[in-house]
Amino acid sequence: MDGSGARPPGAADLTACDREPIHLLGTLQPHGFLLALSEPDLRIVQASANVPDLPGRPAGSVHGASLRTAFPEAEAVLAHYLSQAQPLEGAAFLTTLALGGGEGVRSYDLAAHRVGDLVVLEFEEVASEAASAQSLDALYPRLNAFVEGLHAAGSVAELCALLASDIRHITGFDRALVYRFDRDWHGTVVAEDGNGVLPSYLDLRFPASDIPAQARELYRRNRLRIIPDAGYEPVPIIPSHAPSTGAALDLSQAVLRSVSPVHVEYMRNMGTMASMSVSILVDGALWGLISCHNKAPHRVPLQARNACDFLTRIFALQLAARERGALAEQRIRLGAIQARLLAYMAEEEHFIDGLLNHPEDVLALVDAAGAAVVTAEGCRLLGATPAASEVRGIHEWVSGQPVGEGLFVTDSLGEDYPPARAFADRASGLLAISISQKYASYVLWFRPEVVQTVSWGGNPSKPATADPDGGPDRLHPRKSFETWKETVQGRSLPWSGPEVDAAKDLRSAVLGIVLRRAEELAALSEELQRSNKELEAFSYSVSHDLRAPFRHIVGYSELLRSREGANLTETGRRYVDTIADAALSAGKLVDNLLNFSQMGRNSLNRVSGDMNQLVEEVRRKTLRDVPPGRAIRWQVGSLGRVYADPVMLRLVIENLLSNAVKYTRDRPEALIEIGREPDRDGDAVFYVRDNGVGFDMAYVGKLFGVFQRLHRVEDFEGTGIGLANVRRIVERHGGRTWAEGALGRGATFHFTLPLREGAR
Amino acid sequence: MADLKPILLVEDTPNDIELTLAALEQSQLANEIVICRDGAEALDYLHRRGIYDRPDVQDPAVVLLDLKLPKVDGLEVLGAVKSDPRTRAIPVVMLTSSREESDLVRSYELGVNAFVVKPVGFKEFFDAIQDLGVFWAVLNEPPPHRGGWPSNT
Repeated sequence: MDGSGARPPGAADLTACDREPIHLLGTLQPHGFLLALSEPDLRIVQASANVPDLPGRPAGSVHGASLRTAFPEAEAVLAHYLSQAQPLEGAAFLTTLALGGGEGVRSYDLAAHRVGDLVVLEFEEVASEAASAQSLDALYPRLNAFVEGLHAAGSVAELCALLASDIRHITGFDRALVYRFDRDWHGTVVAEDGNGVLPSYLDLRFPASDIPAQARELYRRNRLRIIPDAGYEPVPIIPSHAPSTGAALDLSQAVLRSVSPVHVEYMRNMGTMASMSVSILVDGALWGLISCHNKAPHRVPLQARNACDFLTRIFALQLAARERGALAEQRIRLGAIQARLLAYMAEEEHFIDGLLNHPEDVLALVDAAGAAVVTAEGCRLLGATPAASEVRGIHEWVSGQPVGEGLFVTDSLGEDYPPARAFADRASGLLAISISQKYASYVLWFRPEVVQTVSWGGNPSKPATADPDGGPDRLHPRKSFETWKETVQGRSLPWSGPEVDAAKDLRSAVLGIVLRRAEELAALSEELQRSNKELEAFSYSVSHDLRAPFRHIVGYSELLRSREGANLTETGRRYVDTIADAALSAGKLVDNLLNFSQMGRNSLNRVSGDMNQLVEEVRRKTLRDVPPGRAIRWQVGSLGRVYADPVMLRLVIENLLSNAVKYTRDRPEALIEIGREPDRDGDAVFYVRDNGVGFDMAYVGKLFGVFQRLHRVEDFEGTGIGLANVRRIVERHGGRTWAEGALGRGATFHFTLPLREGAR
Repeated sequence: MADLKPILLVEDTPNDIELTLAALEQSQLANEIVICRDGAEALDYLHRRGIYDRPDVQDPAVVLLDLKLPKVDGLEVLGAVKSDPRTRAIPVVMLTSSREESDLVRSYELGVNAFVVKPVGFKEFFDAIQDLGVFWAVLNEPPPHRGGWPSNT
């Protein structure tokens, strides 16, 4: 690039280059001469070696002479300049004046500035009479058109293109580039205008090291630099150090300042003999450069340079407004996306679905290539992301990071989290928001490595021929591009302020939703608790008050039968029996209902126990109620140990075994089989099989319902609550129940119990 | 059988009183059956207060205590009996309709001697009452008096 501190031949010299006092090189370019004057007597203390011999004023006599003596033409105008307030930085153009006489007359543009206690006066040779004739009047239409065009330009990119085009036309260079710095001072050619003589550099990237810090500082302080002929011989300042202070002359503001030999070499290597650069300062900071090149040596008259400076400053003003406008626009655009996402989330029962169902908006919110939503339920991927396992790795890592305000941002994930280097092409940039305090739930956005997103259509030149001494051939845009690629390896485009803010806003919105949901849930659970309490009170009341009348009916019927039975007819006694039976079954129904409700309310006290032992106990108890004449063959397999509430599990087994006994009573020999199947999905699977009356699979759905009966009461007694209890208990343990059967061919009841680890 | 202690039945429902009496009758126990209709009356009896402040009132062999009672409920009566050194030794059997586990737990915490849920079935009910009467009124050996202070004089 066009900078005094171009990339040096050896990378090891990088820092040395950063320290190189390039403003104190002490030499000039030869297209003019320079005088350093003391104040207030304006005596010449230093002069460039190329002060021309003028008639009657030999160059050798200038040292120590007063300006009035040596260059009386300049004295008045300088004195006038010095008497006024001067700009803080930069040389001021004073006038154009002619020196010499007759054939030897030459025109010079005079510029002055103060450095320390010296006044530097520069005489720049006017390029040509024709060029200097290009007055401001001639430039005015173009400037006017430019300003108009700036207003019409729709984007920053268009502004830059307009600037490149106008600068090139005003200056007549072969090519003009607009070069923009990013946050890390890497540069990108964002606009270009050329006549085809020089190759295109559009989109070319340059590493920060190409324009080191002190060169950038020079660019900031001295907005315009020009090298008319890279083949120049540097002109020394004599004496090199000021006699009064012993300090080298600071040429940083000098128009004629010589540039680093490295840079000149770079230019020659590029096949460009002339260059000019204009700094673009936005709010006092270096935003970028306009960089112009010419294949042949090329002079740009002062008026044209001033026009460029002027143009650039207008551009910079416009740019600042545009960029602020663009940021505002971006905020509005992102705000709209965010509003949509919120609406989606509000619609969904699980708000996360609002995100998952609209991947385009999730990605657009922060201009990411991929995203992931990691919650307790799982890891969902959107767009171009690393693999789920890799995302989980990132999630785990980022959960462990101290996240300010629940947000984590990086554009070089690989540096913070080395495993990410393996998938830099998908996740070099990470923007993460935590959306739940309880579980480490995150929304993660990914950006690819920036190198992946860069296209460089230009063909800057054929590869430079290798320099036998090594080195200069490395000073080449292609090399710069390579270096830049190395520099930005593993980096993504940085996340902009509005993007980060959009993510932050989304986070607070999500937290708001989560909070609201939590409140709703709390309200619901309060409601549930209240209704549970009511239910408890109800069942307590049933327990006390509903059972008693049934007991009384049963009791009095019995008394009637036993004590007054003699006074009753046969029919009367049958009536009494029926009353007693009915009341008894009603009472038992109440008891069963209470059991059922207690099953749901009582807490589970799970312990590990031997299933075979339990089954054997229940089997013996069941047998007590079996009439002696029945033949039952039992087949009990190895059941192992289970982790369950023994009281409740006993009820399950009791119900299943008594059912099996009950529904096989018509069989000459009942076969009841109790066994365990291989574990399934972390559950132990048990079954009770009988060869009884079975059931029609069409009604299997009703089997486990409360008060559902598949048989007539006359055939098989019961309240129809046993299997409902079985299902309720098993489900409370986190297991499942199901049944198979066929009419007349027996039934098999299955239930599962989670193994200890999986117990919910 | 002058020293045969009475059985104290604390029950407010007339039907239950009648049925319980019928059951006890059938078990042919010789013990007198004293009936209190609420918890306050039962405590008066046990502490010989009010109408029970008489020399012939003696500690019962067993208290058959219903849970739901007017004025002072069964759990309160139980608590009062079991927290008073003078009455602590008297066996108390909760006789109740309630199948609520909480009642059961609370009763045992208060020191109940037995907890019987009245079965719906008449036969079972009779059996239970008879068993209770026989066990507590006949078979059970009350703790000896300690420190020479007769608890029932």
